[in-house]
Amino acid sequence: MRIEKALLVFRKDWREISRNWQVLMPILVVPLLFTVAIPAAIILIPGLMNAPTSSTAFLGLMVENLPGQIQAQLSGMDENQVMIYVMLLYFIAPFFLVIPVMASSVIASDSFAGEKERKTIEALLATPITDGELLFGKALVSFVPSMLVTGGSFLLYSATVDLLTYEMFGRLLLPNLEWVLLIFGLAPTVSLAGIGLTVMISARVKGFKEAQQISAVLVVPILMMLFAQASGVMLFGPLMVGALTLVFILVDILLFRLGVKIFRREKILSQR
Amino acid sequence: MPSIETEGLTKRFGSLTAVDHLNFDVEAGEIFGLLGPNGAGKTTTIRMLASLISPSEGYARVSGHDVVKESLKVREIVGILTENPSLYDRLTAYENMEFFAEAYGITDRVERRDRIRELLELFDLWERRDDKAGNFSKGMKQKLAITRAIVHNPEILFLDEPTSGLDPKSSKDIRDLMEELSRRENQTILLSTHRLEDADRLCSRVMIIKDGGSVVVGSPEELRNKIAGTPLLEIRLRKADERIVRSVEALEQVSAVSLDADPGRMLISLDDVEAATPLVVRSVVEAGGMVLSVNVVEPSLEEAYLKLVGGDSE
Ligand SMILES: Nc1ncnc2c1ncn2[C@@H]1O[C@H](COP(=O)(O)OP(=O)(O)OP(=O)(O)O)[C@@H](O)[C@H]1O
Ligand SMILES: [Mg+2]
Repeated sequence: MRIEKALLVFRKDWREISRNWQVLMPILVVPLLFTVAIPAAIILIPGLMNAPTSSTAFLGLMVENLPGQIQAQLSGMDENQVMIYVMLLYFIAPFFLVIPVMASSVIASDSFAGEKERKTIEALLATPITDGELLFGKALVSFVPSMLVTGGSFLLYSATVDLLTYEMFGRLLLPNLEWVLLIFGLAPTVSLAGIGLTVMISARVKGFKEAQQISAVLVVPILMMLFAQASGVMLFGPLMVGALTLVFILVDILLFRLGVKIFRREKILSQR
Repeated sequence: MPSIETEGLTKRFGSLTAVDHLNFDVEAGEIFGLLGPNGAGKTTTIRMLASLISPSEGYARVSGHDVVKESLKVREIVGILTENPSLYDRLTAYENMEFFAEAYGITDRVERRDRIRELLELFDLWERRDDKAGNFSKGMKQKLAITRAIVHNPEILFLDEPTSGLDPKSSKDIRDLMEELSRRENQTILLSTHRLEDADRLCSRVMIIKDGGSVVVGSPEELRNKIAGTPLLEIRLRKADERIVRSVEALEQVSAVSLDADPGRMLISLDDVEAATPLVVRSVVEAGGMVLSVNVVEPSLEEAYLKLVGGDSE
């Protein structure tokens, strides 16, 4: 593996992506929604209108079922504070796994399937760049921007939350250990899994759209499962987040082994 | 050692045999033409020779390197103009060239810049270097793709329909370039084309393939004479009539005469054109014909080609 060849592919794809609105739009708009719009709504809306009683009852029930460690964190807060605290710190967390998975799979499908669809792949495959260098460069260009977006989203989210809640709580809620582990441990490994899957799908399909559709069909159910689990995992604390990260590292290794096997230049061109 | 050699080169896609046991050699510095109707297997052959896809059977060596076992080496020393221009639409012409130049191993910045400039200027694209390739016209894209194929000065060049989409001037530029590369730099060029005049003018040898198999290999001249037949004599008259035709037909050396739809044009098949021409002309004049012009019409490669592939080209 000649790293400079992989980086050459990386730079080329980076340039292409940075000029492609079809790719840029989703990976910029979705994070903005999660980092600014949703938290602002959660914080500001209950203050404006009085929360309906049914939701208060629901919240009470939910809080009762939380692990003791979290109940301890909540002691001394009023109802409104409890709701905002639980929502912002725990229930929003899974969305921060959607951001890296979505970003990396959008970029990876453009980079692999898109190149096939636009018929640029042939000249690329004719160059003396090896399969490994190509795969690495393209995986990298899917991974790096998605991590930048995730990291940026986290910064923006922390700022939004802290700005809007400092007055209410008298302290900064974010960042905390769970979130740091989520963003810098779990998110990268989940993103890599998304790339691995997309590479495998892209090798088998004709174009960008098809790759996206299949990714959606495959990725969404996985996300749903993650969703269901992630709030719970966050609730169970840093150790659980760490454990899940380890699981995903194993998944990544498996997926990439498979991806390397499937990614054969011969196959990519022979398919129509 | 031949520059390109193949033996039993075969490619199957499922039940379809796209290339069927091709055997041919191309010598260094030669311009070798690959002719054949749509779907004959030209592009597939080129792809195998450029190590893009591997043969199902048989082998090919390029500059002595096996296209399967030493595919990386092969890709380093060959240049290829693919059937589609295969350019990055979102990158500028210069950025496209820069990427490929580096991919082909021109790592020195200054050398790369000079080489790209030289080539883009040659094709009148230098002024447009900062335009997105996607905004280029079809012919400009084709020229840029050719530029890319030769950026690293490859020993062996594969050109899949190089003049498709080009205007007459650009086509000529490309032909001149091919001649220059082959003559001066001793580059071996294998080109596939549907333009038989190009093949005739440029190629030292051509191979006509059909349904993946080789129909014939030889120099354009050989094919013309052997397959399309000997030259014809064309005489244009102010006015042709039956009497003139009969008097020409009566000559011993004449094997056939046809009177063209074009009123005054006679086409005459002769065993030996040079020797018989004066006799034919004299008999036309004696029969009262007013001769406007006398020409020897060489059979074209096109005629040979059409005879061989059964007229269903293009
Ligand atoms: N990847 C592929 N999968 C299946 N069949 C293929 C593939 N590539 C080529 N073929 C088939 O192989 C045959 C030869 O195709 P090829 O592109 O080599 O023809 P060609 O001589 O270049 O034709 P043209 O003059 O139209 O460019 C065709 O029947 C084509 O459909
Ligand atoms: Mg072709």
